[in-house]
Amino acid sequence: MPVIDVTDLCKSYSGRTVLDHVSFSVEPGEIFGILGPNGAGKTTTVEIIEGLRRADSGTVRVLGLDPIADAAALREVVGVQLQHTQLPDNLKVWEALDLYASFYEHPRDWRELLDEWGLADRRDTRFAKLSGGQKQRLIIALALVGNPQVAFLDELTTGLDPQARRATWELVKQVRDAGVTVVLVSHFMDEVEELCDRVAVFSDGRIAAIDSPAGLIAAVDAEHAMRFTPAPDAAATAIDLIRDLPGVSAVTRSGAQVIVTGRGDFATAVTAVLARNHVLVSDLRIDTRTLDDAFVALTGRSFDR
Amino acid sequence: MTAATATAKLTTVETKLLVREPGSLFTFLIPLFILVVFGSSIGPGDTTLLPMTIAIAIGLVALYLMPTALATYREKGILRRLSTTPVRPVSLLTVQLVLQFALAVLSCGLLLAVAGAALGARMPANPLSFALVFTLGTASMFAIGLLIAALAPSGRAANGIGVLLYFPMAFLAGLIQPASQMPAIVVRIGEFTPLGAFRQSLADVWTGGAPDPLLLGVMAAYAILVSLAAARFFRWE
Repeated sequence: MPVIDVTDLCKSYSGRTVLDHVSFSVEPGEIFGILGPNGAGKTTTVEIIEGLRRADSGTVRVLGLDPIADAAALREVVGVQLQHTQLPDNLKVWEALDLYASFYEHPRDWRELLDEWGLADRRDTRFAKLSGGQKQRLIIALALVGNPQVAFLDELTTGLDPQARRATWELVKQVRDAGVTVVLVSHFMDEVEELCDRVAVFSDGRIAAIDSPAGLIAAVDAEHAMRFTPAPDAAATAIDLIRDLPGVSAVTRSGAQVIVTGRGDFATAVTAVLARNHVLVSDLRIDTRTLDDAFVALTGRSFDR
Repeated sequence: MTAATATAKLTTVETKLLVREPGSLFTFLIPLFILVVFGSSIGPGDTTLLPMTIAIAIGLVALYLMPTALATYREKGILRRLSTTPVRPVSLLTVQLVLQFALAVLSCGLLLAVAGAALGARMPANPLSFALVFTLGTASMFAIGLLIAALAPSGRAANGIGVLLYFPMAFLAGLIQPASQMPAIVVRIGEFTPLGAFRQSLADVWTGGAPDPLLLGVMAAYAILVSLAAARFFRWE
């Protein structure tokens, strides 16, 4: 049975459609990504699932519970990290964890969370004195202190430096490995690619695709490029050899460099032909397709941050 | 854990936060400072200074401290965050109101103690009348504070609105200069403001008379109508 089941969700604000028949389900123990640019309906969807907003139509079940009718039961079993949440400046780290633990029937021991999230030496520090990464880790720890079965993390690494982001990703994987189903809202491609088992790509209030990040990338037949520098006297030969290979759509020169664009697995064919004909090349580079390419192909527009 | 444990914990934490907030200290110190500075020049039977300083203390808590605290909680997303937990955000508002009222009572207790012990000032003859006036006056001023918290977009804005409202209200209430030195018409207008009705009712209690029912009615009306408006306009996010 899926942990979250969303069917035909619709929502509009003063005539503007925000969600247009959104349906998906989240399986136990996965990190499920909700990816899309700002305004695509990601946060609205999650807030409806959390019971913070009502949908105009459609049904939502979280662990079999209706977020509005069974709100009290639902709040016991989900943990939420909201975008832009802060704490009072003068609240100490341990006080925040101790306070939020007292809200739940079966909380986790907050001292363990203090260790797991690297906050043990900041135990008595006030919120305002924490670094950005420490604040974010505390906010995530608060989402987990109720011992939830499902955790919602909304834009969890916004404003963090690269090192802090990597560290946060590792911790989120540990949360999943401990058996918590994670719903991750993000507009960062790298984050979704790194963390998510499956991703729903949102665009203009609809879901454009749902698949694993690798599946999304593989499904895209976008044009991409490879480039190499042939030995000076071999450039013309090389271009002749590869011009008509299957999948190759264009061959251009840029100084000493040859740039080949094409679709599918043309790069393998190109390197094979060059090797067979003993054309020596250097600086060979193949642009790998990314989730960005998949996103552009799926939604027909570039990812506008 | 039970809801009672959560409320107890919430109360403990909010009390700590209130104590750590420098503004709390000022709401004690400013009225006390005024009492001590002017207290040296009052006679033993003075009925003006204590009602004024008590009204100032309540005005500071209701217009500065409380609206800023509540609007900041909304601005930081704390009320919204709470609404995703088993605890309802209204619990936090209730705890805050109770604590701010306790602070107001403490501040007035301190003023009465210092005035009685050190300055030999007169105490109200009828403690029941005093309690009634104190409760109604505080309720009417807290209602104004709640309305500020409801309408202000941020903690900083709430603070600014509090400052802007405090001075005209304090002037009309006869807290900037004694009402006896003000034009009669201004005093009359002042009696229809919550702080003015409060100050005048306190003065009535101090001189040994019964508080004017009209002034009690003014305070009760503000307390009820303005609270309703605050509840109507309050946004959780």
